[in-house]
Amino acid sequence: MTICVFASSSSRINTKYAEAASHLGCLLSKAHMDVVYGGGGMGLMGKLADSMIENGGTITGVIPLFMKNEGWNHSEVSRMIITPDMGERKRLMFEMADAVVALPGGIGTLEELTEAITLKQLGLFSGPIVILNTMGFYNSLIDFLEQMISGQFLRLEHRKIWEVAGTPEEVMSCLLRNEAWHHDPLGIAKI
Amino acid sequence: MAIEVTDSNFDEIVINSDKPVIVDFWAEWCGPCRMVAPIIDEISKEYEGKAVVTKCDVDSNPRVASKYSIRNIPTVLYFKDGKIADKQVGAVPKSNFVAKLNALI
Repeated sequence: MTICVFASSSSRINTKYAEAASHLGCLLSKAHMDVVYGGGGMGLMGKLADSMIENGGTITGVIPLFMKNEGWNHSEVSRMIITPDMGERKRLMFEMADAVVALPGGIGTLEELTEAITLKQLGLFSGPIVILNTMGFYNSLIDFLEQMISGQFLRLEHRKIWEVAGTPEEVMSCLLRNEAWHHDPLGIAKI
Repeated sequence: MAIEVTDSNFDEIVINSDKPVIVDFWAEWCGPCRMVAPIIDEISKEYEGKAVVTKCDVDSNPRVASKYSIRNIPTVLYFKDGKIADKQVGAVPKSNFVAKLNALI
């Protein structure tokens, strides 16, 4: 099972987020789950990769050439795919993924997470999408998604597209449970 | 078509060549490698007799991949007289690969 992890590249954030990223890397390695991620060497991306490598896990980075040229890539990840641009990077990551996990992050992470949700809503991705809500980081987003449901911008059934985990252990439970998504996503895509 | 080089024939084909050599390092799980492969095949036809154009699967040939520290793929290495003369990381337009090769001929 290959888990696509989206996460922040910021190194200035609270260390609690880094601890959760490292712990998740450890749990994923021990469960023999492979990881594909954005290839970064800094922030939560870097912590996750360090932990995967330290615990003998398999991690593949996917990074655009311009970021590699800036030196933003992790230097120890043994598999690093260099893509021509951001779009190809994301496309490849989704192609390789059986499940998606979003750690706390900025605009890039938010964009990747919401694309995953969109793809699943449209039946183009069917794996688990787990939001690691360390210290309630994603509370406002979850409220916003609920507002979309109550305002009928999304259907009630769409709430099953994503799962929220408070801890890395809960992320693992969601991944292992691997609950089936709707039998006819396109049928309920239209609100 | 590019010549498939392996851990066992790498020295014979790449290192001992009297012509410049291109090695396209690729892997099955690498999407952009599929963009580079046809370009390398085209170059192999166009430079027949002038250069040796090869490809190397990093998963099947760990000795070569580790000797040249191939972590990023696609990576194309250019050899002249058995030594690395140039390098191209990533899927770039054909003209970039050709320019680097021309500089060695």
